[in-house]
Amino acid sequence: MTSTALESQLVVGAILFALGMIGFLTRRNLILIVLSTELMLHGVSLNLTAFGRYHGNPQGQVFTIFVLTIAACEAGLALSLILTLYQRRKSLDVFLWGNLGEEDLPILSGGGATPPSKVVDPNADLPHLIPAGAAPKSPATKA
Amino acid sequence: MFDWLKPNDVLWLIPAAPLLACLWIVVVGHVVRRQYAHRPVVVAIAISTALSYHLLLNVVPTGFVERDHGAHAETAAAHEHAEHVDSDTPADAEHPDVPEAHTHAADASGPTAISTTLYEWIRIGSEASPTLSIPVKLRADAMTALMLVMVTTVSLLVAVFASGYMKGDPGYPRFFASIALFVFSMCMLVLAGNFLLMFVFWEAVGLCSYLLIGFWFKKPSAAAAAKKAFVVNRIGDFGFILGVFLIWVTFDTLDFDVLFANPLAIRAIVSQQPEIFTFICMLLFVGAIGKSAQFPLHVWLPDAMEGPTPVSALIHAATMVTAGVYLVARCTPFFILAPKAQMFVAGIGAVTALIAAITALTQYDLKRVLAYSTVSQLGYMFMALGAAGAGTNLATLAVTFAMFHMFTHAFFKAVLFLSAGSVMHSMGDVIDMRRFSGLRSVLPITHITFLAGALALAGFPLLSGFWSKDEILSIVFEATKGTQLHSIKVMFPFTNYHWVIEFTTGTYYTLILGVGLLASLMTAFYTFRAYFMTFWGEQKFPEEAGHHPHDAPPAMAIPLLILGVAALIVGGIAGPTHLYGNYLAQTPGLPAGDHLQPNMLMMGISSVLAILGIGLAYVCYVATPAIARDMKSSMSPLHAFSQSGLMLDYLYLRFVVLPLRLLAQIAEFFDRWVIDVIVDCFGFVPGLFGAILRPIHSGYVQNYAMVMLIGLVVCLVSVLRVLAGTL
Amino acid sequence: MKWSTENGALLVPLALGWLAIWWLLPREKGRSRILGGLIGVAALLALQVTLLPPAGNVVRDGMFYLFGGAAILSGGLMITDKNPVFAALWFAVSTLSVCGLFLVNSAPFLSAATIIVYAGAIVVTFLFVIMLAQQSGAANYDHRAVQPVMASVLSFVLLGSLLFALQEWGGIDGKASDEARANQFVSLEGTVQANVFSQPPGTNKAEIGSMRVLGRSLFSDYLYVVELAGTVLLIATIGAIAIAPRRSQGTL
Repeated sequence: MTSTALESQLVVGAILFALGMIGFLTRRNLILIVLSTELMLHGVSLNLTAFGRYHGNPQGQVFTIFVLTIAACEAGLALSLILTLYQRRKSLDVFLWGNLGEEDLPILSGGGATPPSKVVDPNADLPHLIPAGAAPKSPATKA
Repeated sequence: MFDWLKPNDVLWLIPAAPLLACLWIVVVGHVVRRQYAHRPVVVAIAISTALSYHLLLNVVPTGFVERDHGAHAETAAAHEHAEHVDSDTPADAEHPDVPEAHTHAADASGPTAISTTLYEWIRIGSEASPTLSIPVKLRADAMTALMLVMVTTVSLLVAVFASGYMKGDPGYPRFFASIALFVFSMCMLVLAGNFLLMFVFWEAVGLCSYLLIGFWFKKPSAAAAAKKAFVVNRIGDFGFILGVFLIWVTFDTLDFDVLFANPLAIRAIVSQQPEIFTFICMLLFVGAIGKSAQFPLHVWLPDAMEGPTPVSALIHAATMVTAGVYLVARCTPFFILAPKAQMFVAGIGAVTALIAAITALTQYDLKRVLAYSTVSQLGYMFMALGAAGAGTNLATLAVTFAMFHMFTHAFFKAVLFLSAGSVMHSMGDVIDMRRFSGLRSVLPITHITFLAGALALAGFPLLSGFWSKDEILSIVFEATKGTQLHSIKVMFPFTNYHWVIEFTTGTYYTLILGVGLLASLMTAFYTFRAYFMTFWGEQKFPEEAGHHPHDAPPAMAIPLLILGVAALIVGGIAGPTHLYGNYLAQTPGLPAGDHLQPNMLMMGISSVLAILGIGLAYVCYVATPAIARDMKSSMSPLHAFSQSGLMLDYLYLRFVVLPLRLLAQIAEFFDRWVIDVIVDCFGFVPGLFGAILRPIHSGYVQNYAMVMLIGLVVCLVSVLRVLAGTL
Repeated sequence: MKWSTENGALLVPLALGWLAIWWLLPREKGRSRILGGLIGVAALLALQVTLLPPAGNVVRDGMFYLFGGAAILSGGLMITDKNPVFAALWFAVSTLSVCGLFLVNSAPFLSAATIIVYAGAIVVTFLFVIMLAQQSGAANYDHRAVQPVMASVLSFVLLGSLLFALQEWGGIDGKASDEARANQFVSLEGTVQANVFSQPPGTNKAEIGSMRVLGRSLFSDYLYVVELAGTVLLIATIGAIAIAPRRSQGTL
């Protein structure tokens, strides 16, 4: 085992990690964001196995197995969350979920978000909270 | 162990029982068994009543002094001396001398009050010699005991009545909790051993009054009336607390025992500052004006009739409004040193009696008639209290007669109000006398009790009101013998012209006596006007009454009958036999006085006036109702003037309320456009920072991840620069 | 300036790679994907010349270049593809390539397990969800990238730092002959505390990736961790069931 093999593997792992990060940062599709993180995990796994081989012990691979386990958990949970989010808004756009502010404040960033036309009432099944600071609308005026 | 004769075991239980009942209802009773909320209150007030009678008959007399003939003779001699001085010396010189004459007599063998200190409420300064020490001290003397008996007895009967009257009201437990709180506060007010404690419970009864006037708080008129009563009372209370401050500044103590039983200290003060008592008494009397609804602060009492009728009977006729009379009576040792203040008291009382009587003549609301009558009778009591301004020898009698009128008035006014409540109850809460008449046969019990109360109030011979009112008129008659000369200088502003009115005490009191007699005639008239309009004439019900008006149920009828009997006879039992007067004379601090022989002239006049008033009312409203109608149409401006309460409410609205409202609007403008703008500027700064920083918190996970990446890159590049040593 | 000429071998492939990624990132107006791909390949070739020299073993080197190049290229295509279905498929290719690299790293079990878990389960599930959610084809949000310039530049700066570190201290390009400098970077004696069931590490390199060695290590040295990982899996299962929408309520 020459050291060159190790470093080459590390270079590939780093490139995969960087690519995954770019994907995570630039894509707007929720599923692709999760997939990008998986790509980053691949880069890390590659590092681990390369070091395991370099040191000649199984710990790198054992750790990769654990990474695999956690990745599976993460993927399952992420998918179920994405499904839930999708069902609320009928879209996988991450920009639809950026509303941290109160209802009556203007949205100052993320201007690229365009709500899909299919959505009838995006907040229909969300609990409606009274926005802090603003006076609650009385049901009488609403009716 | 519990010793029934030890004051500290008896005194605290009297207020404690209703307080416990109140707490019980507030905590438990308004949830559990709501419809039985009256029971703990009635039981608690019954305990208080029993203990009050025990106090009256057994406990307080332990402090009494046997006034043997020798002492009496000495006192009489002192009196003669005092009168002698009174008639001979000029006004200013007599002040130091008169108390001296009395102090010697009183010091030798004065009755003592019993008292118990529960705990120290306020202490400023060291423990040994505090600058200000306010203990919660209960104190009872003869005046307290008599007052307590009256308060608890009427409260008990009214509470029983209310358990029937208020049945089915959604606020039933709240009503009885307020009543219990009121009885507690009133007992504490009467038992208070110093001025500050008295002030605290003076406010507490005001609070209960507010709560109970506004009991039906969803009714706008009730809420407004409660607010009016509260605000008007504040004006009087402000005077009271100023008086208390002045007392403390002058005497360094607020304790009744020290203030009233140690006249030597008072004498020293008087010789230095002879006018100080006038100020103190005037300020205290301002408090009494507010609480006892005297002119010009009487406007709250008629509106207070918006409350439930038992409340009107208990608080606004029998007990709370008499607190002012009690205060002035309690402070008699001060008032005898301030004849001018006493004359002022008498004058205010006379004006109030006259104004209220005139207003009552034309009211159509049955309860309002009674309310104005209460104001008028309270004016009588102050008239009596002020009569001592003619000479200190009249002081004890003045207090006795005022308190006695208060005592009888409590009974017959309570029965009148409760009967009015019974009428309301059966007429479906209609109280306008034009809408019903001829209830004699429908409500026989109510009719009898109302008649009893009305006769007593009108001063029909040999009934309660006759005795007490007659005594008041006789004491004022005595006062007309005063010869001291007074002068009032009326200055015209911006000119040098002034006008001096000179009059003697006698002239002044003659005027007051005339007013009293006139008011007495009007009292008889308006009382029986209300009686005839309600119970005589053709039988007529409002539609709210339903098909079959029924008389009072037993829970209401029994208190009515008891009070009715009491209204008839209690004056005759306690008045002419001097039971009341002798007992009250044992109050410490009251100068010793002798009995006034029954004044046959006054008796005759007042009997004639009462019968004349009743007869006039009969003629006008039963025999030939056309007379009343003609008089009303021929004197309609006067009628309207009287009906509007001499336009006092209008004047208050015009000259007090509207300017204040204008001021409030100016303040609101200033607040909104000056202060709010400044505050908004401060609020704008963090908002500006927030607006700058808000884009960072976009809510998008990728922006946050980007920030993390920036941090990571910065760290990594820095580490690499250090490690490589280049770059 | 001197620094940039000295490190030109590193900067050129990085710059080319950034250009390729920036060119390929999704936009409203499409660009030639072939051109971008060519730039990317050029960047990889430049990198190979400077940073990935062949180790000497022809089979190993061949497999490494094949799988490594495929992993990087398919990764790049995955993150830049406008169609999420294709992106998921590119991810599957990338995963398979990484599994090939695992094989090169003598981890056959891990390779097989990753293929089964990722390609067999995760990617299929993702595809399933994508197809359910995007029956009408690519949505407009797949045609736009968030902060493309900043994200790619920063990521490449990070990558450049890593590669620079590897170049400086990783022993590439003959600099690693100095063992002392290499030891700053990787510790050769990094092993866990041995226990009775464990074997001395690295005795037989052929056995490192075998099931026997892996299983022995897993169920002796990492027994508690295995239990914990199982618990985490169970919790995640329960969580996924609880979070995922009910069929009766939703459309999915």
